[in-house]
Amino acid sequence: MSNTDMSIDDTPRTELLTGTLDLLVLKTLDTMGPLHGYGIARRIEQMAAGLLRLSQGSIYPALIRLEQRGWIKASWGLSDTNRRVKIYALTRTGTSRLRVEVATWEQSTALVARVLGARS
Amino acid sequence: MNARSTLQRLVALVRARRLDRDLDDEIAAHLEMAERDLVAQGLSPDAARREARRQFGGLPSMREAHRDDRSARWIEHLVHDARHGLAALWREPLFTAVAVGVLAVGIGANTAMFSLVDGVLLKPLPFPAPDRIVRVWETPSTTASNSTTTATFLELKRQSRSFDALSAESLSTATVDVQGEPVRLTGRFVSADHFAVFGVTPVVGRTFRPEEDADGAEPVVILSHAAWITHFGGAPGLIGEMVRLDGLPHRVIGVLPAGAFDKDRARPLDEPAAFWRLNAFTETEIRQSAHWLNPVGRLKPGVTLEQARADVTAIRGRIAADIPAWKQHWGVTVEPFGQILVGDRLRQALYIALGAVVLVLLIAAANITNLLLTRASARRKEIAVRAALGASRARIAAQLLTESLLLGLLGGTAGVALAALLVRAAVPFLPAPFTADITLDARVLAFAVAVTLAVSALVGTLPALRLAHGPATAALQAASRGSTGAHDRTRRSIVAAEVALSVVLLAGGFLLFTSLARLQRVDVGTRLDDVVTMSVDVPRYRYPDGAAIAAFYPALVARVQAVPGVVAASMSGDVPLEGTGGENLQMPGRSDRLLVRFKRIDAHYLDALGMRLAAGRGFAATDRHGAPHVVVVNEALAARLRQRFGLTEVLGQAVDLPWLGFGPDRRVLMTVVGVVANERVRNDLRAPLDDVAYVPIEQHPRLQVKLSVFAPGRAAAIVPSVREAVRQVEPAIALADVRTMRQIWSGSLSGLREPVWLVGAFAVVSALLAALGLYGVVSHTVAQRRREIGIRVALGATSQSVVSDVVRHTATVAGLGVGAGLAAAAALSRIMTNLLFEVSALEPRAYVFAGLVMTCLAVAAAVGPARRAARVDPVTALRAEG
Repeated sequence: MSNTDMSIDDTPRTELLTGTLDLLVLKTLDTMGPLHGYGIARRIEQMAAGLLRLSQGSIYPALIRLEQRGWIKASWGLSDTNRRVKIYALTRTGTSRLRVEVATWEQSTALVARVLGARS
Repeated sequence: MNARSTLQRLVALVRARRLDRDLDDEIAAHLEMAERDLVAQGLSPDAARREARRQFGGLPSMREAHRDDRSARWIEHLVHDARHGLAALWREPLFTAVAVGVLAVGIGANTAMFSLVDGVLLKPLPFPAPDRIVRVWETPSTTASNSTTTATFLELKRQSRSFDALSAESLSTATVDVQGEPVRLTGRFVSADHFAVFGVTPVVGRTFRPEEDADGAEPVVILSHAAWITHFGGAPGLIGEMVRLDGLPHRVIGVLPAGAFDKDRARPLDEPAAFWRLNAFTETEIRQSAHWLNPVGRLKPGVTLEQARADVTAIRGRIAADIPAWKQHWGVTVEPFGQILVGDRLRQALYIALGAVVLVLLIAAANITNLLLTRASARRKEIAVRAALGASRARIAAQLLTESLLLGLLGGTAGVALAALLVRAAVPFLPAPFTADITLDARVLAFAVAVTLAVSALVGTLPALRLAHGPATAALQAASRGSTGAHDRTRRSIVAAEVALSVVLLAGGFLLFTSLARLQRVDVGTRLDDVVTMSVDVPRYRYPDGAAIAAFYPALVARVQAVPGVVAASMSGDVPLEGTGGENLQMPGRSDRLLVRFKRIDAHYLDALGMRLAAGRGFAATDRHGAPHVVVVNEALAARLRQRFGLTEVLGQAVDLPWLGFGPDRRVLMTVVGVVANERVRNDLRAPLDDVAYVPIEQHPRLQVKLSVFAPGRAAAIVPSVREAVRQVEPAIALADVRTMRQIWSGSLSGLREPVWLVGAFAVVSALLAALGLYGVVSHTVAQRRREIGIRVALGATSQSVVSDVVRHTATVAGLGVGAGLAAAAALSRIMTNLLFEVSALEPRAYVFAGLVMTCLAVAAAVGPARRAARVDPVTALRAEG
């Protein structure tokens, strides 16, 4: 069996919480600069290092959602293979939004961690 | 969702196809890049393609999510909810049919009623700047209004500073020669600036010129569009031609646009004008003090009613010296024309009917609310499950509201169709003024839409709030146990309110019906059946003076009486119930005056109209021109004379009355020779009895006269023979206004009969709706309490006690409603006082009736459910939901 077949790998993998994917996409674009969908998906997978169960396709609804909120913008560009692809980039509102989202995320994870810690 | 993304989503919805194509491109590029990377990692091209697809995940669900995220969700929700709602309604055809039917009745009746109120009261008159059109009245007292005299009108016209135009209008009939056939037309005498008052210009030809209403100018006439089409074939060449009105040539100078004053309406009593000719006042007319002109004017821009009133009052003060002493205290006033067209009583009747129909709608809405609440409690479990699965309250509420909106729209659509039918059926019978424009136009449709939306919101909100906000777990538990205390209380209050509203309508309807019945029983004093009446205006050019006219009457009557089937025929100035002019009666040597109705009749009038002679004699053929002046009084006038002048015997008494018809008017002494039973001379049966002085028509001849024919069993069928008989005596006469006395009587009830039947119909509908509501609530309660009833039966309760329990429960709800309704009815019935006749607004029988009807309906509504309760089998009941 090929080691790329993640579904039968027995490493425990996490389902993404709702809304988390948006955060990851924003962060990726912040770190990597303008990128196409496939690039974003690959980058998230690499960072998760096999701990995340992500269908690459699910990136696209997230992208259109963020685009409509005005946090990222899309433009047509060319891929390495000279194919027409949509390149996504953070907008200024997206950059500031990312800061807010990160702060919120840290706050809530800290809270959850504290509660869980107190219980055990 | 902020405005920006809402907009984007809407755009996305519109550009869905392009966005889908873009997405396909992106996916293709994505897969290509993934494949390439996988090949680079050492996979075979085939395996790489499969692996790329696998990593990408499910395409259809991703596409769906993409669409979901980019487009306006609420629209999709709406579409979804609507589809879901329709399916839900389709699954319960009985509920849907009842709800839509009830709403259709409520909305339809309201829409029809509104189109009436709008057409008659709210829409401005169909003339430019209609609020500047006014009528000028003389006011003998604060409550009475009267026409004015020629002299007063001319002074008003000369001196007033308030009017752009002021025209003296009076009724004019004329026999017109249409291709050798005499036709009697109704028209108006007016002043040259009459159409400037209304802002109407002829569609063919021209309007009057100022100099044309001077005495001696060539007579000209303007025709209505309808008369032009009907009698002259719409010939454009008619303009400039001569038309004979009563034998006198008039030049036709114009034709008014269609519908200007001649809206088609099947109204027997008030014919639209067919022609307008000019009042060229003669010296005699100016000297005479007859009140025969109705001035109508257009106020100058910016002139208020108060200013105009002050103006005409000042003028009247300046000419006071020329006015007889007994009229010195009269006033003059100016009133909006529109207000005069629609009588106070019609206005009030319309508003009362509108109020009644709004109550019907409220009851209908209450019923639907209860139906939805019942349905909602059946769906609590479903909703609770949805809530538990994560549907937000707003989403659930939105879905429930969508359902009620669907119901409302279905009901509203059916209602508008119903309204169209109602309006079409009702308009010909309505006593509406000629300006009324009663159609289902955009205004009315907008009203229907507003009512539909309001009702949908009204009926949907409570159930939606109830369901969406109930704690999910409580609902789940409660639903399984079937105890819904608060719910039931709401539903019972709603039904009690329905009962209360119905009681109001029933009590009001009873009062109105009683009034109508009493009005119909009013003794008219004359025969109503088997009498046909008609105008037989005598052409002046054939009968130039009083003597000739007076001689013509007996000749005509003799010929008509010879027609087989005719028992009696009579010539009179007016027929009963159609109005008779007033004159002043004086006693010799006394200055005070008595206003009496002055009615010309011939020797056959009492026979033909079946009037009772109380004392003395009626007129005879010998009471003609040259014979001593005689008068017959009615019992009311006899009583008045006795009381006012201290007479012991009226017969033989001389009274001072005008002598009309032979040269200039003067007053003469006439001897009272008879007393007859009271005759209703006026159209208004509510008015107090009039004092009537009858004079021999041959001593007071006039051109406008009426023929009454008594022909038992064939009053209507005899008309052609009578027409032929009249033609034989005088071919220039055109019969007109052919009506039976019964028709005239029936017309006099108009204005009360319509609102009475409307309110009555609304009361019946509302009572039935309220009974339906009661039935629904009781059925539901019984169904909910099956377990409890089962336990009671198991513990030994008899079926009788179960039945009486259910009936008592219903009676409590109904009783509350009846109590509240009676109080409300007593408070509200005062607004109808003006419409009531010989019945007090607080007539106890009306309230007893309303209370009894609703109580009986309540018991009837409880019987079915109570029987069902009595049949509850304890074993199945306890097992069913345990």
